[in-house]
Amino acid sequence: MNTVIDSLQQFLQYTGFANMTWQHIVMICIGIAFITVAIKKDWEPLLLVPIGFGMIIGNIPFTEGLQIGIYEEGSVMNILYSGVRYGWYPPLIFLGIGAMTDFSALISQPRLMLIGAAAQVGIFGAYVIALHLGFTPAESGAIGIIGGADGPTAIFLSSKLAPELMGAIAVSAYSYMALVPVIQRPIMLMLTTKKERLIRMKPARQVSQKEKIIFPIVGFILTAMIVPSGMPLLGMLFFGNLLKESGVTKRLAETARGPLIDVVTILIGVTVGCSTQANVFLSGTSVKIFLLGLLSFVIATTCGVLFAKFMNLFCKEENKINPLIGNAGVSAVPDSARVSQNVGREFDKNNHLLMHAMAPNVAGVIGSAVAAGILLSFLG
Amino acid sequence: MNGFMLSVNMLQAGHVLRKSAEMAEKDPHGVIITVVSVAVVFAVLLILYFAYSLIGKSVNGKMPKFGRQSSAAGVHKPSAEEAAAIALALDSELNGETYAAIGAALHNYFNDTVHDQESYIITIRRK
Repeated sequence: MNTVIDSLQQFLQYTGFANMTWQHIVMICIGIAFITVAIKKDWEPLLLVPIGFGMIIGNIPFTEGLQIGIYEEGSVMNILYSGVRYGWYPPLIFLGIGAMTDFSALISQPRLMLIGAAAQVGIFGAYVIALHLGFTPAESGAIGIIGGADGPTAIFLSSKLAPELMGAIAVSAYSYMALVPVIQRPIMLMLTTKKERLIRMKPARQVSQKEKIIFPIVGFILTAMIVPSGMPLLGMLFFGNLLKESGVTKRLAETARGPLIDVVTILIGVTVGCSTQANVFLSGTSVKIFLLGLLSFVIATTCGVLFAKFMNLFCKEENKINPLIGNAGVSAVPDSARVSQNVGREFDKNNHLLMHAMAPNVAGVIGSAVAAGILLSFLG
Repeated sequence: MNGFMLSVNMLQAGHVLRKSAEMAEKDPHGVIITVVSVAVVFAVLLILYFAYSLIGKSVNGKMPKFGRQSSAAGVHKPSAEEAAAIALALDSELNGETYAAIGAALHNYFNDTVHDQESYIITIRRK
């Protein structure tokens, strides 16, 4: 009888209930909140559902030594997490993004690329502030990249520069990407006049197939030659786009933008969520990272909108840019371009800004990958 | 494999720490790295801008504009922006069945198998 009671007691000590702390409960609640927001509001559900559930998985308390935790060498979650830790997943996601993105808007209006460059100032603004808050340069670089509004790039760079902060950085990046409509709209309205919001941009020209094929090859050679450290991301992005546009690799393109990106999104989402174990995640540092992430988004949006206004100073009347597309310089594709479209239509129902906003939006993807490469070459 | 990756990772971590410490000494306020990085990002995208402008002009400089085609014969055809907006809206709102239904409806419409106005003439086919 005693043996049975002892065994039961021993078993009970292994249960999650026995090892639960308030931090675990908080993290599980955050995970549930992510899932709820994704389902109810439809905010980035493909990311927030896996991340939210991963948070719940990662915060079930367990006795260490059973090789089940994400930070325990050799556990299943640990092996899956190695794609995040060593930066394998982000380039694969970029392959899929390249294979699903139509760069026509950018090719037809290359001047809008500069708005994508201006929005990257958010990364470096957050970098400077993070340095002053006491983070090391490597940590500051990893935190600053949240302003690029690109989850895979944030994971890629933080895995190289500050792996210990990766969980907080990734969750922060994806959370703010989901909140793009909430964060960007007031900034856009604050920085533009009613007259500017009504600007109708000239229709874009048609782009030939030849141009679409030349784009990824020239784009990759030029960007990678200048910033070789961004090669894994840029290479896969442009390669994926070549698969799409070449016209002869339809199956490969479909795999890259379909099953492959879906599999990697599941793995990246669940493991990033799982990596937010309460003892690692719930700290003052994470709070600071969240605040800095928000700040970098605000700076990026502000710089994008202001730069569009600045470009207008040099444009003829018929070539004016609607500054509402400036927010799309951050690379949350296509959400930030959708924000431009929606805010634009609030003031003129027949003014469709989406196609124009896609240009700085995809330029932002290239720009943030370039910025990550620069930070890596300085600090990595 | 895991051990090898771990040692690679530790080496990389050491390298990052060293470089980070060097940078903290050289550029404690982050001004240099910020100025250089922003300049490089702009330079890269500026080069791409010039490259694509040149390619666009040489490959397809005389491509027609969407806007010029739209008002022909008094029929409003959607512009590129409208088409893109519609496509994106459909993509986000609809599922496969809806696409199929739209496709079938368009097929019927263009093949004249749908009658919005009937002739009101009853015909009886005798067997």
